[in-house]
Amino acid sequence: MSIRRIDGLSRRAFLASSSAFALAALAGRSLAQEVKNIDPSLAEKIPIADPSLDLPPADGPFRWLDSGGQKGVFYRQFFPKYAEARGIEVVYDGLPWNEIATVLPLGIRNGSAPDAFNLPNGMPPAVAVAEGWVQPLDELIPDFEAWKAGFPAGSFVEGVNVIEGKTYGLPYTSERRCSSLLLFNRKAMELTEFDPGPDSPLTWDQFRKAAAQITENSGGSMFGLIMGGNQGNRWSANLVQLANRAGAACASSVAGCLTGVDYRTGEIVIDSDEFVQAMELLLAIRDDGSMFPGIMSLNAPQARAFVEQGGAGMILQGPWNVPIWEANNPDFDFGFTATPAPEGKDGKTIVDALPSAANTMYVNAAAKNPAYAADVFHYMGTLEGQVAWGNVVGPSDPPIFPKAAEEAEMSERSKAVIALQEKQVRVSPVVYARSPGFTKVAQLYEEPTPNLANVVQGLYTGQLSGVKENLSKLKGAMNAALDKAIADANAEGANVRREDLVYSDWDPSVDYAS
Amino acid sequence: MSATELHISHAPAATRQGLAARIWKSRIDYLFLVPGLLIFGAFIVWPLIASEYYSLLTWTGFGAAKKFVGLQNYRELLQDEFFLNAFKRSFLFTLATVPLQMFISLVFAILLNNKLLKLSTLFRTMIFLPVVTPVAVIAIVIALMLSPFNGPINGLLLDAGLFERAVDFLGSPQLVLWTLAGVFVWKWTGVTLIYWLAALQTVPDELYEAAKLDGVRTWQVTVFVVLPIIAPFAVVIGLISAIAALNVFPLIQSTTQGGPFFASEVMEVFIFRIAFAPSGGMVPQLGYASAAGVLFGLAVMILTIFQIVAVRRARRKDPANG
Repeated sequence: MSIRRIDGLSRRAFLASSSAFALAALAGRSLAQEVKNIDPSLAEKIPIADPSLDLPPADGPFRWLDSGGQKGVFYRQFFPKYAEARGIEVVYDGLPWNEIATVLPLGIRNGSAPDAFNLPNGMPPAVAVAEGWVQPLDELIPDFEAWKAGFPAGSFVEGVNVIEGKTYGLPYTSERRCSSLLLFNRKAMELTEFDPGPDSPLTWDQFRKAAAQITENSGGSMFGLIMGGNQGNRWSANLVQLANRAGAACASSVAGCLTGVDYRTGEIVIDSDEFVQAMELLLAIRDDGSMFPGIMSLNAPQARAFVEQGGAGMILQGPWNVPIWEANNPDFDFGFTATPAPEGKDGKTIVDALPSAANTMYVNAAAKNPAYAADVFHYMGTLEGQVAWGNVVGPSDPPIFPKAAEEAEMSERSKAVIALQEKQVRVSPVVYARSPGFTKVAQLYEEPTPNLANVVQGLYTGQLSGVKENLSKLKGAMNAALDKAIADANAEGANVRREDLVYSDWDPSVDYAS
Repeated sequence: MSATELHISHAPAATRQGLAARIWKSRIDYLFLVPGLLIFGAFIVWPLIASEYYSLLTWTGFGAAKKFVGLQNYRELLQDEFFLNAFKRSFLFTLATVPLQMFISLVFAILLNNKLLKLSTLFRTMIFLPVVTPVAVIAIVIALMLSPFNGPINGLLLDAGLFERAVDFLGSPQLVLWTLAGVFVWKWTGVTLIYWLAALQTVPDELYEAAKLDGVRTWQVTVFVVLPIIAPFAVVIGLISAIAALNVFPLIQSTTQGGPFFASEVMEVFIFRIAFAPSGGMVPQLGYASAAGVLFGLAVMILTIFQIVAVRRARRKDPANG
């Protein structure tokens, strides 16, 4: 048998060498990426505390799963230092929400889920507890009551991260954020007659006029306003928060069943005058020709990039833009102010709980390294850990300790954004706290299609016509879905009523603290 | 007992015994089939059976709470305008793309099959390049190319005076599906081209030579000699292309996610939206999504059966098959 040789190398040897080379190249690439991800200037802002408890030898790598983004920026600096300090291996995965929704249930089923994780987006914690996915922190974290007492009021809420008296979720970041701040290119704003700032927001009329003036006075090189139009949540968030500024007292809730509920009456108010006028404002900006063309095929990060590049003058988006722009383009001169409000109005932005539900971390009921999860959770619930978080993440996901936000190293602009949000954002009543059975309602609620984000998008593109009619139609569908979910939940023993949504003593200008 | 009766009564037993004996005799060969059968069972048969079972449940996909609801999911689907529209769009997309893709690739194949054409390998590579380019990359490039703000395609259209305002190809509800159909054809024409080139290899060289001796023109050879011979392949290529066009999820998910306001939501995107509820606040409905998948699968299967019948008819008409 003849053996074909390539320059003196047998085919088998060639294949083996190639495979080894490819493997080495992949491994080398992966290692290089890890090294590249460590930013010494960020890592030095994260001190590692002494262990908070006696740590046993690790059972394999300690594994942490969350939705990445700005969290990933922090943990990619934190975990290498933590692993070195504790002498263990740590595997950090920052995955998109849709992958968490797929990977985590499978991991739970086959016993390979990480030690600590975010729940899939929209999954009520009560379901995770009932399914035996997660374990309480009460016995895991040393000196638990003292540790818990260090958090601000409203951090631990029955039905949100406390189930039947046991604490399950680590609420380490604040939801006191306005995801529709008005952020603007200062050069663009100079083309207008306005000079907005944290203490001088634009009125709706000024906002519309500013968008038109930017478009007109830039000679066609820039458009007044941009949005990530193919991302549904941007439409609902912008509409709700514009309506909030007009006086509508409701949130765009993580649990769809509570979106648009005004707790003063328990009614869904998405077809109120405030909502209708907010939608008409967006349509007017479109009709003026001031909206960036092609927003329906842009997501939020793309829209953000166009502001930085000078394609658009203003954007309604969240505080996370600030550290991103500051890091990517330190020369970019931008300002921010609150969401525009109608003349004479100054409504508050409403969120449905103080802790960020999306960032809340849980410990796997079958964790191999629960002590290490407890150690990290403990650290993130101390002022030191919170300041470290604020140092790296800034106003994107503010630390839940207000003092940490004050002490953290971040730009003056970032601190001003957090200060504005402290002044502007208010926490609504949490229905789960008074009626824990509502977790069952949230679980059984089938959101109508189209939902609020879809309807706003459809109205904007002209596929739906009649603002009031379509919002009223959606309200009817949401009411029907909510009533059905309540009936179904009661059939399973939830013992809830629609009246449980009424908090007649709620003043939307202050946090609901009962 | 007659000889005939004896024959009838013993024949089946003999066949069974023979089959078992033959299997036993070839047991080593069958052993080699086991891994393939296991993989086939695990990744083809089991998901099919499981999705049919899940379609009878109300189930989020996570959690143990499953409720058997019989055919309720199917009944609701048939009244769900979003399902019906997505279903319609899937087949519209297929009807728009498959004939166009087959025609364009056939023209390219005939041109590139000409041995006198120089640089044919280069042209084949160029046409095949989009096929090997990841869909995610194509999505980014297409978004940049078609951007109504600073995209070069809009720049050309405006410079040529064809439009007064930039066209929002991916953001206009009226245009988005057809734009994506165009991108799909551009991406996958290379594959269909390979099929056609393979089909052209079946045309005997003698026919070209005979036609040349008879003084027949090139276009006449193509129309009267080549096309009738490769016509039966069209059914198979059409079937493969149609199935590919019905499975267009990666392209649409990475460009428009079915938007704006569902204008490009085809069946796979619909199923994904219902099954995984990627937007916050929605609860996944794996049972409902499975029912949609089963109905869609049935429709594709019916289409396939039609095409198999068409292949058989074409074969019967094919002069090469007598």
